[in-house]
Amino acid sequence: MKWFESPTYDFIKGQKIMYVVSGVLFVSSIIAVLTMGLNYGIDFRGGKEFVFDFENNVEVTEIRSALTEPLGGTPELKLFGSESEILLRTDAEGDISVIQNLILSNLQELYPDNPVRVIKTDLVGPRFAEDLKIAAINSILFAVAVVFIYILIRFKGWYFSAGAVAALIHDVVIVLGIFTVIEPIVNFNVTIDQALIAAFLTIVGYSLNDTVVVFDRIRENSLIYKTMEFKDMINKSLNDTLSRTVITSVTTLFVVTVLFIFGGEVLKGFAFALVIGVILGTYSSLFVASSIVVELQKRASQPKS
Amino acid sequence: MKKQNNGFKIGTIVVFLAMTIMYLFPTIQWNLEQRHINGMPEAEQAQYSEENRERLQSLQENSLSLGLDLQGGMYVTLEVGVNQLVLELAGEFADETLRDIISVAQGRSVDQGTEFITEFLAEFESRDPNAMLSRYYRSDVDNITRRSTNEEVETYLRGQVGSAVDRAMEIVRSRVDRYGVTEPSILKQGNSRLVVELPGVDDEERVRDLLRGTARLEFRLTPNAEDMNSAKRQIVNYFENAGSEEADSLATGDSLATQQTGGNPLLQIFSPQGRSEYVFGYAAGPDTARVNDLISREEVQNLLPRSAELMWGAQPFATDQGLELFELIPVRTQVEMTGDVISEASVEFDPNTNEAQVAMAMDSDGSRRWARITGANIGRPVAIVLDGYVYSYPNVITKINNGRSSITGLSGLQEAEDLVNILLSGALPAPLDIIEERTVGASLGEESIQAGFYSVLFGLVAVAIFMIAYYHAGGGIADLALILNVIFILGILAAFNATLTLPGIAGIVLTIGMAVDANVLIFDRIREELRAGKTLRAAIDNGYSNAMSAIVDANVTTFFVGVILFSFGVGPIKGFAITLMAGIASSLFSAIVITRVVVDYLTREKTSTISFG
Repeated sequence: MKWFESPTYDFIKGQKIMYVVSGVLFVSSIIAVLTMGLNYGIDFRGGKEFVFDFENNVEVTEIRSALTEPLGGTPELKLFGSESEILLRTDAEGDISVIQNLILSNLQELYPDNPVRVIKTDLVGPRFAEDLKIAAINSILFAVAVVFIYILIRFKGWYFSAGAVAALIHDVVIVLGIFTVIEPIVNFNVTIDQALIAAFLTIVGYSLNDTVVVFDRIRENSLIYKTMEFKDMINKSLNDTLSRTVITSVTTLFVVTVLFIFGGEVLKGFAFALVIGVILGTYSSLFVASSIVVELQKRASQPKS
Repeated sequence: MKKQNNGFKIGTIVVFLAMTIMYLFPTIQWNLEQRHINGMPEAEQAQYSEENRERLQSLQENSLSLGLDLQGGMYVTLEVGVNQLVLELAGEFADETLRDIISVAQGRSVDQGTEFITEFLAEFESRDPNAMLSRYYRSDVDNITRRSTNEEVETYLRGQVGSAVDRAMEIVRSRVDRYGVTEPSILKQGNSRLVVELPGVDDEERVRDLLRGTARLEFRLTPNAEDMNSAKRQIVNYFENAGSEEADSLATGDSLATQQTGGNPLLQIFSPQGRSEYVFGYAAGPDTARVNDLISREEVQNLLPRSAELMWGAQPFATDQGLELFELIPVRTQVEMTGDVISEASVEFDPNTNEAQVAMAMDSDGSRRWARITGANIGRPVAIVLDGYVYSYPNVITKINNGRSSITGLSGLQEAEDLVNILLSGALPAPLDIIEERTVGASLGEESIQAGFYSVLFGLVAVAIFMIAYYHAGGGIADLALILNVIFILGILAAFNATLTLPGIAGIVLTIGMAVDANVLIFDRIREELRAGKTLRAAIDNGYSNAMSAIVDANVTTFFVGVILFSFGVGPIKGFAITLMAGIASSLFSAIVITRVVVDYLTREKTSTISFG
């Protein structure tokens, strides 16, 4: 089997359309995040989260209305893998034992013939949530800085660094936007929590992997084809590595899809972010990173007037 | 030359494989033992475990441990209440100004995520640059006197905080050990936090109480019954005049309020009589919070004798129409003795009622004081107060010389056992707050293990089939490397004593997808070289060497990301970072070294061929 043997696509020419596509996705993601707000999980917001396991199926809306009054506020509810398991998130203040018992007794009252037990609890204090948030932001900024510096050292051109970092920001922002938009629609947990930050950093690593392979080819080709125009050389490098880019994306997409389907409820959101991230990462290393490198290099090499 | 080179490579592979098997051996053995034990009849299980305890224990310790999210258990982060400690250290010198400074400093340190002591000093000095901290803090041991400088006091306070955290850790450890958890882990995090991991624990409520239980035990006298009765009359009168509009808003639900009418908001939910003249009155369980609201008003507090305060009984004394009734008991504000004097504690059963109670013995100093207190109060009750609730208020019958006392009125054997545990491990130097808690039930853990196992399996199969379809023999070789890679990752985890978590398994699955990248790079290069008309041997040589720089760059950057995740992430995320890093290291080895050896072996004859698709 051979895909993309000696392809001669003109990626740089296609960049005009891709600028529009990326631009629209990027801007609408930012608008979505600004208008709908980031949907923080308890890791970064603080609060209490429980997973209840019922013997028989339950109705989320019934539970929501039954618990709103006792908890002094509407709890967030989602199904957790099946119709008989629910995830409940509440901001109700007070001792976790007290709240847990309050919810349990109300649930038993609501469904007297449907025994329930708690299979997972998470409590994050507001102060601790703040700490986690700072650590998460730091880790992402730090990762971006490391990427920038490493590429600067290895490829000796700030526009390579800028291109790689732009692609990363592009990927992460769009994943954030998609998470924000789909939250009310999907039936699994897509809040922004620590696992999602881990997914982000993995996407950063993956997208970078792709980008670096292309840059490496550019470096190599620039030694062989010294007279070739920078733009054409980048295009050639993208085509040279296209087969590899696609194959690696396919195998990685295989495993993250497997993780999304079989990885269990706890990892659903994390795996989903990886699925989107792998697709975006492949796309951005083909179109975004290189286009920006070409653009920046062109400007940098123009004599100042 | 090349032969020799491959000999070295084969040697390395053999050594790594041997080490991996060595490190994974206890894990395999442990799992076989578990299966063996579970297959036995129940009676034999205990006996077998007992006979082989040492061997089993060492197997378990050396085997790859599963995270709490996989085996079920509880993960708790506790924060030592440094602000509380700083206030308590001031003792009787504490005044409104100090309280205010502490609360401002606490607020700021929470908002800005800074250290409390630093904020405390800054706030103290900003109010009056010339003020001396020694106004509030004295210590003979640390030589802190009226003339100590602020710097000296700061050192003293920091020292006290440090030792309080250490002591809290010791106490938590001792409580956890007494509770009986296999392989608990208690670690200090930062300046004032403790991270407690308790595998297999499923009674969250009990553990929460155990961890933060201060078990502040106090012996107090009760105030003069006459004075209290007159105070009670005045309080009832006060609410008589307080107006009836309040009453309506208070009467809700199935409490005593619905049974009594009348305009007095207190009497609606509170009955001002008791089983003895020493009891202030009683209320139903659901009403106690509202009674607290009413009697905590300043005007009401002013009606009470200065030396007295009101506390609820710990256990209901009776039930009325399904509602548990609790007594409100007046005690003196002055604490005669605290739990410090307790030298022994044990669970006992009341010979008459067979109820569990805690018997305590006091040290010599405590015994002397106990004798003096009981001797001076014959015929009057002494209240035994635990964490702000009155457990019992027995009448003193005779002077007690041997320092014996007991806590009765407990809810059952479990409470008695936990109380003994807490009393014996000592009082916490400062309150502990649960700021993070994550509990996973054993059933969810099992589901996660299964989900993880299937993800690894299906991921592996999908990638393996694809690689063979696309790269033919070359793909097969890459698959061999891939399988070895997964085993290596587990070996690395076992060797570093790391824990396998669910995100960790996700890391392995992800590695399966990304590990073939190195082989994809190499094989694509080989195809390119072949297309350029090179011989197979030359194509292989060039393919490997030309792909190297891309492989190194791509993996180094991903490894950096793993390092960052590891240093910033907490708990399970760290597990993801570890497997990601282990995966990168081992995939480089298997994708570059192992496949090369196999490819070289298959092409050892000039005439032999190998297909790269």
